[in-house]
Amino acid sequence: MKLSSFRKKSPWILHYNAGGCNGCDIEILACLAPKYDIERFGMINTGNPKQSDILLVTGPVTKRSRERLVEIYAQMPEPKVVVSCGVCACTGGVFRGMYNCEGGIDQYIPVDVYVCGCGTRPEQIIDGVIQALAILEKKTKELEQSVRLKKEPVKEDTQLNRRNIAGEIIKTA
Amino acid sequence: MNGLLVPVLMILFAPLIGGLVYGFERIIKARMQRRIGPPLLQPFYDFLKLADKRKMIVHSTHAFLGIMHFVSLWFALAVLLLGGDLILVIFLHLLSTSLLILAGYSTRSIFSHLGANRTAISILAYEPVLILIAVSVFMLTGSFEVASIFSYSEPLLYKMPLAFIALLLILPIKLKKSPFDVAEAHQEITGGVELEFSGIFFEAIYTAKWLDYVFCYTLVYLFGANNPLLGIGLVIFVFLYLNALDNSSARVNYKQMLRFSLIVALPIAFINLLLTILHLS
Repeated sequence: MKLSSFRKKSPWILHYNAGGCNGCDIEILACLAPKYDIERFGMINTGNPKQSDILLVTGPVTKRSRERLVEIYAQMPEPKVVVSCGVCACTGGVFRGMYNCEGGIDQYIPVDVYVCGCGTRPEQIIDGVIQALAILEKKTKELEQSVRLKKEPVKEDTQLNRRNIAGEIIKTA
Repeated sequence: MNGLLVPVLMILFAPLIGGLVYGFERIIKARMQRRIGPPLLQPFYDFLKLADKRKMIVHSTHAFLGIMHFVSLWFALAVLLLGGDLILVIFLHLLSTSLLILAGYSTRSIFSHLGANRTAISILAYEPVLILIAVSVFMLTGSFEVASIFSYSEPLLYKMPLAFIALLLILPIKLKKSPFDVAEAHQEITGGVELEFSGIFFEAIYTAKWLDYVFCYTLVYLFGANNPLLGIGLVIFVFLYLNALDNSSARVNYKQMLRFSLIVALPIAFINLLLTILHLS
Protein backbone atom coordinates (compact mmCIF):
# COMPACT_ATOMS: atom_id res chain seq x y z
CA MET A 1 0.00 0.00 0.00
CA LYS A 2 1.57 3.25 -1.10
CA LEU A 3 1.34 6.35 1.01
CA SER A 4 -0.04 8.35 -1.91
CA SER A 5 -3.21 6.25 -1.92
CA PHE A 6 -4.19 7.84 1.39
CA ARG A 7 -4.29 11.32 -0.13
CA LYS A 8 -7.76 10.85 -1.50
CA LYS A 9 -8.99 9.54 1.83
CA SER A 10 -8.27 12.66 3.80
CA PRO A 11 -8.24 15.76 1.63
CA TRP A 12 -8.19 18.87 3.77
CA ILE A 13 -9.74 21.88 2.17
CA LEU A 14 -8.70 25.50 2.33
CA HIS A 15 -11.18 27.96 0.95
CA TYR A 16 -10.31 31.47 -0.12
CA ASN A 17 -12.57 34.20 -1.38
CA ALA A 18 -10.65 36.30 -3.89
CA GLY A 19 -13.14 39.14 -3.93
CA GLY A 20 -16.33 37.35 -4.95
CA CYS A 21 -19.92 38.07 -3.95
CA ASN A 22 -19.92 35.33 -1.26
CA GLY A 23 -22.48 33.23 -3.15
CA CYS A 24 -20.09 30.38 -3.93
CA ASP A 25 -18.65 30.52 -0.41
CA ILE A 26 -22.08 29.88 1.07
CA GLU A 27 -22.41 26.88 -1.24
CA ILE A 28 -18.99 25.57 -0.13
CA LEU A 29 -20.05 25.88 3.50
CA ALA A 30 -23.33 24.16 2.61
CA CYS A 31 -21.26 21.14 1.56
CA LEU A 32 -20.08 20.82 5.17
CA ALA A 33 -23.60 20.97 6.57
CA PRO A 34 -25.62 17.82 7.33
CA LYS A 35 -27.36 17.64 3.93
CA TYR A 36 -24.22 17.06 1.86
CA ASP A 37 -21.76 16.27 4.69
CA ILE A 38 -18.44 16.09 2.85
CA GLU A 39 -16.79 15.08 6.14
CA ARG A 40 -17.89 11.52 5.32
CA PHE A 41 -15.13 11.55 2.67
CA GLY A 42 -12.70 12.71 5.34
CA MET A 43 -12.63 16.31 4.19
CA ILE A 44 -12.10 19.00 6.77
CA ASN A 45 -12.39 22.70 6.11
CA THR A 46 -9.13 23.88 7.65
CA GLY A 47 -8.39 27.56 7.77
CA ASN A 48 -4.71 26.85 7.52
CA PRO A 49 -2.77 26.70 4.24
CA LYS A 50 0.14 24.83 5.81
CA GLN A 51 -1.96 21.73 6.51
CA SER A 52 -4.34 21.65 3.57
CA ASP A 53 -4.30 19.80 0.24
CA ILE A 54 -7.04 21.39 -1.83
CA LEU A 55 -7.39 25.11 -2.41
CA LEU A 56 -10.93 26.15 -3.29
CA VAL A 57 -10.93 29.66 -4.72
CA THR A 58 -14.04 31.67 -5.39
CA GLY A 59 -14.46 35.09 -6.93
CA PRO A 60 -12.63 37.03 -9.61
CA VAL A 61 -9.15 37.97 -8.48
CA THR A 62 -9.33 41.61 -7.58
CA LYS A 63 -6.10 43.53 -7.63
CA ARG A 64 -6.22 43.79 -3.85
CA SER A 65 -6.54 40.06 -3.26
CA ARG A 66 -4.12 38.64 -5.81
CA GLU A 67 -1.03 39.04 -3.60
CA ARG A 68 -2.76 37.11 -0.84
CA LEU A 69 -3.92 34.44 -3.26
CA VAL A 70 -0.37 33.82 -4.49
CA GLU A 71 0.97 33.91 -0.93
CA ILE A 72 -1.59 31.38 0.32
CA TYR A 73 -0.84 29.16 -2.66
CA ALA A 74 2.89 29.33 -1.96
CA GLN A 75 2.35 28.43 1.72
CA MET A 76 0.62 25.16 0.89
CA PRO A 77 3.04 22.21 0.92
CA GLU A 78 3.01 19.95 -2.11
CA PRO A 79 1.19 17.85 -3.30
CA LYS A 80 -1.68 20.27 -3.72
CA VAL A 81 -4.47 20.96 -6.18
CA VAL A 82 -6.43 24.08 -6.94
CA VAL A 83 -10.15 24.04 -7.72
CA SER A 84 -11.65 27.26 -9.00
CA CYS A 85 -15.26 27.46 -7.88
CA GLY A 86 -17.74 29.51 -9.82
CA VAL A 87 -17.61 31.26 -13.14
CA CYS A 88 -15.88 34.33 -11.65
CA ALA A 89 -12.90 32.29 -10.49
CA CYS A 90 -12.74 30.42 -13.82
CA THR A 91 -12.91 33.32 -16.27
CA GLY A 92 -13.77 36.47 -14.41
CA GLY A 93 -17.49 36.09 -15.04
CA VAL A 94 -19.50 39.28 -15.07
CA PHE A 95 -16.50 41.12 -13.70
CA ARG A 96 -14.25 40.26 -16.64
CA GLY A 97 -12.64 43.31 -18.13
CA MET A 98 -13.48 45.61 -15.27
CA TYR A 99 -10.89 48.04 -13.97
CA ASN A 100 -10.30 46.32 -10.64
CA CYS A 101 -9.96 42.69 -11.61
CA GLU A 102 -8.69 40.42 -14.32
CA GLY A 103 -9.92 37.25 -15.94
CA GLY A 104 -9.87 34.39 -13.49
CA ILE A 105 -7.40 32.93 -11.02
CA ASP A 106 -5.44 30.92 -13.60
CA GLN A 107 -3.49 34.06 -14.44
CA TYR A 108 -1.66 33.72 -11.14
CA ILE A 109 -1.76 30.12 -9.97
CA PRO A 110 -2.05 26.83 -11.89
CA VAL A 111 -5.63 25.56 -11.74
CA ASP A 112 -6.41 21.83 -11.93
CA VAL A 113 -10.20 21.72 -11.96
CA TYR A 114 -12.66 24.36 -13.13
CA VAL A 115 -16.14 24.25 -11.60
CA CYS A 116 -18.56 26.55 -13.42
CA GLY A 117 -21.88 27.99 -12.30
CA CYS A 118 -23.06 31.19 -10.66
CA GLY A 119 -23.14 30.21 -7.91
CA THR A 120 -21.92 26.66 -8.05
CA ARG A 121 -24.22 24.01 -6.71
CA PRO A 122 -22.86 21.98 -3.79
CA GLU A 123 -23.17 18.83 -5.95
CA GLN A 124 -20.93 20.46 -8.55
CA ILE A 125 -18.37 21.42 -5.91
CA ILE A 126 -18.29 17.88 -4.52
CA ASP A 127 -17.93 16.53 -8.06
CA GLY A 128 -15.11 18.96 -8.80
CA VAL A 129 -13.30 18.06 -5.58
CA ILE A 130 -13.62 14.34 -6.37
CA GLN A 131 -12.08 15.02 -9.79
CA ALA A 132 -9.33 17.00 -8.10
CA LEU A 133 -8.58 14.02 -5.85
CA ALA A 134 -7.76 11.88 -8.89
CA ILE A 135 -5.27 14.56 -9.94
CA LEU A 136 -3.92 14.85 -6.39
CA GLU A 137 -3.09 11.16 -6.27
CA LYS A 138 -0.85 11.44 -9.33
CA LYS A 139 1.00 14.55 -8.17
CA THR A 140 4.49 14.44 -6.72
CA LYS A 141 6.19 16.35 -3.98
CA GLU A 142 8.02 18.52 -6.52
CA LEU A 143 7.86 22.24 -5.96
CA GLU A 144 5.08 23.91 -7.95
CA GLN A 145 5.58 27.51 -8.93
CA SER A 146 2.86 30.08 -9.14
CA VAL A 147 2.89 32.16 -12.31
CA ARG A 148 2.76 35.35 -10.38
CA LEU A 149 1.90 38.32 -12.56
CA LYS A 150 3.69 36.79 -15.52
CA LYS A 151 0.73 36.77 -17.87
CA GLU A 152 -0.64 39.89 -19.46
CA PRO A 153 -3.86 41.00 -17.80
CA VAL A 154 -7.07 40.71 -19.81
CA LYS A 155 -7.73 44.04 -21.47
CA GLU A 156 -10.11 43.20 -24.31
CA ASP A 157 -13.17 41.06 -23.98
CA THR A 158 -14.58 39.13 -26.91
CA GLN A 159 -18.16 39.66 -25.87
CA LEU A 160 -18.62 43.02 -24.24
CA ASN A 161 -16.36 45.84 -23.34
CA ARG A 162 -17.80 47.12 -20.12
CA ARG A 163 -15.37 49.96 -19.89
CA ASN A 164 -16.67 51.44 -23.15
CA ILE A 165 -20.28 50.92 -22.12
CA ALA A 166 -19.61 52.64 -18.81
CA GLY A 167 -17.93 55.46 -20.67
CA GLU A 168 -20.89 55.90 -22.99
CA ILE A 169 -23.30 55.95 -20.08
CA ILE A 170 -21.27 58.66 -18.46
CA LYS A 171 -21.18 60.64 -21.75
CA THR A 172 -24.92 60.45 -22.26
CA ALA A 173 -25.70 61.31 -18.66
CA MET B 1 4.76 -9.34 36.09
CA ASN B 2 1.21 -10.01 35.01
CA GLY B 3 0.07 -6.70 36.50
CA LEU B 4 2.59 -4.83 34.38
CA LEU B 5 1.45 -6.28 31.07
CA VAL B 6 -1.71 -4.22 30.61
CA PRO B 7 -0.09 -0.83 31.40
CA VAL B 8 2.92 -1.55 29.18
CA LEU B 9 0.69 -2.59 26.28
CA MET B 10 -1.44 0.50 26.84
CA ILE B 11 1.65 2.72 26.80
CA LEU B 12 2.97 1.13 23.61
CA PHE B 13 -0.35 1.37 21.81
CA ALA B 14 -1.42 4.67 23.38
CA PRO B 15 -1.39 6.59 20.05
CA LEU B 16 -3.42 3.80 18.44
CA ILE B 17 -6.00 3.81 21.25
CA GLY B 18 -6.16 7.59 21.23
CA GLY B 19 -6.59 7.62 17.45
CA LEU B 20 -9.48 5.18 17.69
CA VAL B 21 -11.05 7.29 20.44
CA TYR B 22 -10.70 10.38 18.24
CA GLY B 23 -12.15 8.60 15.21
CA PHE B 24 -15.06 7.32 17.28
CA GLU B 25 -15.57 10.78 18.68
CA ARG B 26 -15.81 12.27 15.20
CA ILE B 27 -18.50 9.73 14.28
CA ILE B 28 -20.42 10.39 17.50
CA LYS B 29 -20.23 14.12 16.93
CA ALA B 30 -21.46 13.71 13.34
CA ARG B 31 -24.36 11.52 14.47
CA MET B 32 -25.29 14.13 17.07
CA GLN B 33 -25.52 16.63 14.21
CA ARG B 34 -27.46 14.12 12.05
CA ARG B 35 -24.55 13.61 9.68
CA ILE B 36 -23.00 10.34 8.60
CA GLY B 37 -19.51 11.30 9.60
CA PRO B 38 -16.07 10.06 8.58
CA PRO B 39 -14.96 6.41 8.83
CA LEU B 40 -13.58 5.16 12.15
CA LEU B 41 -10.00 4.99 10.86
CA GLN B 42 -10.10 8.58 9.55
CA PRO B 43 -7.43 9.90 12.00
CA PHE B 44 -5.00 7.26 10.72
CA TYR B 45 -5.74 8.16 7.11
CA ASP B 46 -4.97 11.78 8.02
CA PHE B 47 -1.79 10.62 9.73
CA LEU B 48 -0.57 8.65 6.70
CA LYS B 49 -1.49 11.44 4.31
CA LEU B 50 0.41 14.01 6.36
CA ALA B 51 3.49 11.76 6.22
CA ASP B 52 3.45 12.11 2.44
CA LYS B 53 3.48 15.91 2.30
CA ARG B 54 6.52 17.98 1.42
CA LYS B 55 8.45 18.94 4.55
CA MET B 56 8.18 22.60 5.42
CA ILE B 57 9.43 24.02 8.70
CA VAL B 58 9.57 27.53 10.08
CA HIS B 59 12.88 26.85 11.82
CA SER B 60 14.42 23.76 13.34
CA THR B 61 13.81 24.70 17.00
CA HIS B 62 10.12 25.09 16.30
CA ALA B 63 9.86 21.62 14.77
CA PHE B 64 12.01 20.13 17.56
CA LEU B 65 9.82 21.64 20.30
CA GLY B 66 6.75 20.22 18.58
CA ILE B 67 8.22 16.73 18.56
CA MET B 68 9.41 17.08 22.17
CA HIS B 69 5.86 18.04 23.13
CA PHE B 70 4.71 14.69 21.79
CA VAL B 71 7.55 12.74 23.44
CA SER B 72 7.15 14.33 26.87
CA LEU B 73 3.38 13.84 26.76
CA TRP B 74 3.91 10.17 26.01
CA PHE B 75 6.35 10.03 28.92
CA ALA B 76 3.80 11.64 31.27
CA LEU B 77 1.24 9.08 30.13
CA ALA B 78 3.71 6.27 30.75
CA VAL B 79 4.34 7.47 34.31
CA LEU B 80 0.59 7.69 34.90
CA LEU B 81 -0.15 4.23 33.53
CA LEU B 82 2.73 2.61 35.40
CA GLY B 83 1.30 3.92 38.66
CA GLY B 84 3.80 6.68 39.37
CA ASP B 85 3.53 9.86 41.38
CA LEU B 86 0.37 11.86 40.58
CA ILE B 87 2.07 15.23 41.17
CA LEU B 88 4.93 14.15 38.87
CA VAL B 89 2.40 13.18 36.21
CA ILE B 90 0.67 16.54 36.41
CA PHE B 91 3.96 18.42 36.15
CA LEU B 92 5.20 16.29 33.26
CA HIS B 93 1.98 17.12 31.49
CA LEU B 94 2.62 20.77 32.31
CA LEU B 95 6.13 20.42 30.88
CA SER B 96 4.81 19.06 27.60
CA THR B 97 2.27 21.87 27.32
CA SER B 98 4.91 24.47 28.10
CA LEU B 99 7.10 23.06 25.31
CA LEU B 100 4.16 23.65 23.00
CA ILE B 101 3.83 27.20 24.31
CA LEU B 102 7.54 27.80 23.65
CA ALA B 103 7.04 26.49 20.11
CA GLY B 104 4.16 28.90 19.71
CA TYR B 105 6.26 31.87 20.82
CA SER B 106 9.25 30.89 18.71
CA THR B 107 7.62 31.88 15.43
CA ARG B 108 6.68 35.33 14.23
CA SER B 109 3.11 34.43 13.40
CA ILE B 110 0.53 36.45 15.33
CA PHE B 111 -1.97 33.57 15.48
CA SER B 112 0.73 31.33 16.89
CA HIS B 113 1.47 33.90 19.60
CA LEU B 114 -2.22 34.28 20.40
CA GLY B 115 -2.56 30.51 20.64
CA ALA B 116 0.45 30.29 22.95
CA ASN B 117 -1.00 33.06 25.17
CA ARG B 118 -4.32 31.28 25.37
CA THR B 119 -2.72 27.90 26.05
CA ALA B 120 -0.84 29.51 28.95
CA ILE B 121 -4.10 30.95 30.27
CA SER B 122 -5.84 27.60 29.99
CA ILE B 123 -3.03 26.03 32.02
CA LEU B 124 -3.74 28.67 34.65
CA ALA B 125 -7.37 27.58 34.55
CA TYR B 126 -7.03 23.81 34.92
CA GLU B 127 -3.72 23.21 36.68
CA PRO B 128 -4.67 24.39 40.23
CA VAL B 129 -7.81 22.23 40.16
CA LEU B 130 -5.84 19.17 39.10
CA ILE B 131 -3.26 19.71 41.83
CA LEU B 132 -6.00 20.15 44.46
CA ILE B 133 -7.54 16.88 43.29
CA ALA B 134 -4.15 15.19 43.59
CA VAL B 135 -3.72 16.60 47.12
CA SER B 136 -7.18 15.29 48.06
CA VAL B 137 -6.13 11.88 46.79
CA PHE B 138 -3.03 12.15 49.00
CA MET B 139 -5.16 13.06 52.02
CA LEU B 140 -7.42 10.09 51.37
CA THR B 141 -4.95 7.37 50.56
CA GLY B 142 -1.84 8.71 52.25
CA SER B 143 0.26 8.57 49.12
CA PHE B 144 0.65 10.43 45.82
CA GLU B 145 1.26 7.15 44.03
CA VAL B 146 -1.39 6.24 41.44
CA ALA B 147 -0.95 2.62 42.50
CA SER B 148 -2.25 3.49 45.98
CA ILE B 149 -5.61 4.48 44.46
CA PHE B 150 -5.91 0.97 43.07
CA SER B 151 -5.07 -0.61 46.42
CA TYR B 152 -7.50 1.68 48.35
CA SER B 153 -10.60 -0.09 49.65
CA GLU B 154 -13.27 2.00 47.93
CA PRO B 155 -13.48 3.77 44.53
CA LEU B 156 -12.57 7.44 44.70
CA LEU B 157 -15.95 8.45 43.27
CA TYR B 158 -17.78 7.42 46.45
CA LYS B 159 -15.22 9.08 48.70
CA MET B 160 -14.90 12.41 46.88
CA PRO B 161 -17.67 13.04 44.31
CA LEU B 162 -16.98 16.78 44.37
CA ALA B 163 -13.50 16.17 42.95
CA PHE B 164 -15.12 14.31 40.06
CA ILE B 165 -17.42 17.27 39.41
CA ALA B 166 -14.42 19.62 39.45
CA LEU B 167 -12.66 17.31 36.98
CA LEU B 168 -15.73 17.35 34.73
CA LEU B 169 -15.64 21.14 34.72
CA ILE B 170 -11.98 21.40 33.72
CA LEU B 171 -11.80 18.52 31.22
CA PRO B 172 -13.22 20.64 28.36
CA ILE B 173 -10.41 23.16 29.01
CA LYS B 174 -7.78 20.42 29.01
CA LEU B 175 -9.08 18.66 25.90
CA LYS B 176 -9.78 21.98 24.14
CA LYS B 177 -13.47 21.36 23.71
CA SER B 178 -16.21 23.91 23.33
CA PRO B 179 -17.13 26.06 25.29
CA PHE B 180 -13.53 26.30 26.53
CA ASP B 181 -11.64 25.79 23.25
CA VAL B 182 -10.11 29.27 23.15
CA ALA B 183 -6.61 27.77 22.90
CA GLU B 184 -7.20 26.30 19.44
CA ALA B 185 -10.26 28.19 18.26
CA HIS B 186 -10.35 26.96 14.68
CA GLN B 187 -12.70 29.61 13.35
CA GLU B 188 -10.96 32.40 15.20
CA ILE B 189 -7.20 31.81 15.33
CA THR B 190 -7.13 28.74 13.04
CA GLY B 191 -5.67 26.32 15.54
CA GLY B 192 -3.42 28.63 17.56
CA VAL B 193 -0.04 27.02 18.31
CA GLU B 194 -0.49 24.22 15.78
CA LEU B 195 -0.89 26.78 12.99
CA GLU B 196 2.75 26.91 11.89
CA PHE B 197 3.31 23.15 11.91
CA SER B 198 2.94 21.35 8.62
CA GLY B 199 3.35 17.91 7.13
CA ILE B 200 5.24 15.38 9.20
CA PHE B 201 5.84 17.86 12.03
CA PHE B 202 2.15 18.57 12.38
CA GLU B 203 1.74 14.84 12.95
CA ALA B 204 3.51 15.20 16.30
CA ILE B 205 0.95 17.77 17.41
CA TYR B 206 -1.93 15.82 15.89
CA THR B 207 -0.88 12.59 17.60
CA ALA B 208 -0.23 14.39 20.88
CA LYS B 209 -3.92 15.30 20.84
CA TRP B 210 -4.77 11.60 20.72
CA LEU B 211 -2.42 10.95 23.65
CA ASP B 212 -4.19 13.70 25.54
CA TYR B 213 -7.44 11.76 25.15
CA VAL B 214 -5.86 8.66 26.65
CA PHE B 215 -4.35 10.78 29.46
CA CYS B 216 -7.63 12.46 30.38
CA TYR B 217 -9.72 9.30 30.17
CA THR B 218 -7.18 7.52 32.37
CA LEU B 219 -7.59 10.31 34.93
CA VAL B 220 -11.34 9.71 34.76
CA TYR B 221 -10.84 5.96 35.11
CA LEU B 222 -8.89 6.53 38.35
CA PHE B 223 -12.13 7.60 40.00
CA GLY B 224 -13.47 4.09 39.61
CA ALA B 225 -10.11 2.41 39.94
CA ASN B 226 -10.85 -0.67 42.05
CA ASN B 227 -14.10 -1.36 40.25
CA PRO B 228 -13.35 -1.79 36.52
CA LEU B 229 -17.04 -1.73 35.57
CA LEU B 230 -17.54 1.57 37.36
CA GLY B 231 -14.36 2.95 35.80
CA ILE B 232 -15.41 2.06 32.26
CA GLY B 233 -18.89 3.40 32.94
CA LEU B 234 -17.39 6.70 34.09
CA VAL B 235 -15.20 6.89 30.97
CA ILE B 236 -18.21 6.31 28.68
CA PHE B 237 -20.26 8.86 30.61
CA VAL B 238 -17.49 11.48 30.37
CA PHE B 239 -17.04 10.73 26.66
CA LEU B 240 -20.73 11.35 25.92
CA TYR B 241 -20.80 14.37 28.23
CA LEU B 242 -17.80 15.99 26.53
CA ASN B 243 -19.18 15.45 23.02
CA ALA B 244 -22.67 16.64 23.92
CA LEU B 245 -21.15 19.72 25.54
CA ASP B 246 -18.87 20.31 22.56
CA ASN B 247 -21.78 20.15 20.13
CA SER B 248 -24.23 22.21 22.10
CA SER B 249 -22.23 25.16 23.36
CA ALA B 250 -20.56 28.21 21.86
CA ARG B 251 -17.06 29.40 22.68
CA VAL B 252 -16.62 31.76 25.61
CA ASN B 253 -13.68 34.15 25.67
CA TYR B 254 -10.59 33.49 27.73
CA LYS B 255 -11.58 35.83 30.58
CA GLN B 256 -14.89 34.06 31.05
CA MET B 257 -13.11 30.71 30.93
CA LEU B 258 -10.57 31.77 33.57
CA ARG B 259 -13.27 33.31 35.75
CA PHE B 260 -15.41 30.17 35.53
CA SER B 261 -12.51 27.92 36.36
CA LEU B 262 -11.20 29.98 39.28
CA ILE B 263 -14.62 30.92 40.75
CA VAL B 264 -16.56 27.69 40.18
CA ALA B 265 -14.22 24.74 39.62
CA LEU B 266 -11.42 25.72 42.01
CA PRO B 267 -13.69 26.27 45.07
CA ILE B 268 -15.41 22.93 44.39
CA ALA B 269 -12.02 21.22 44.39
CA PHE B 270 -11.06 23.13 47.54
CA ILE B 271 -14.27 22.21 49.39
CA ASN B 272 -13.61 18.63 48.36
CA LEU B 273 -10.14 18.85 49.89
CA LEU B 274 -11.53 20.30 53.16
CA LEU B 275 -14.26 17.66 53.33
CA THR B 276 -11.71 14.92 52.76
CA ILE B 277 -9.53 16.24 55.61
CA LEU B 278 -12.52 16.73 57.96
CA HIS B 279 -13.91 13.35 57.10
CA LEU B 280 -10.62 11.68 57.94
CA SER B 281 -10.04 13.40 61.27
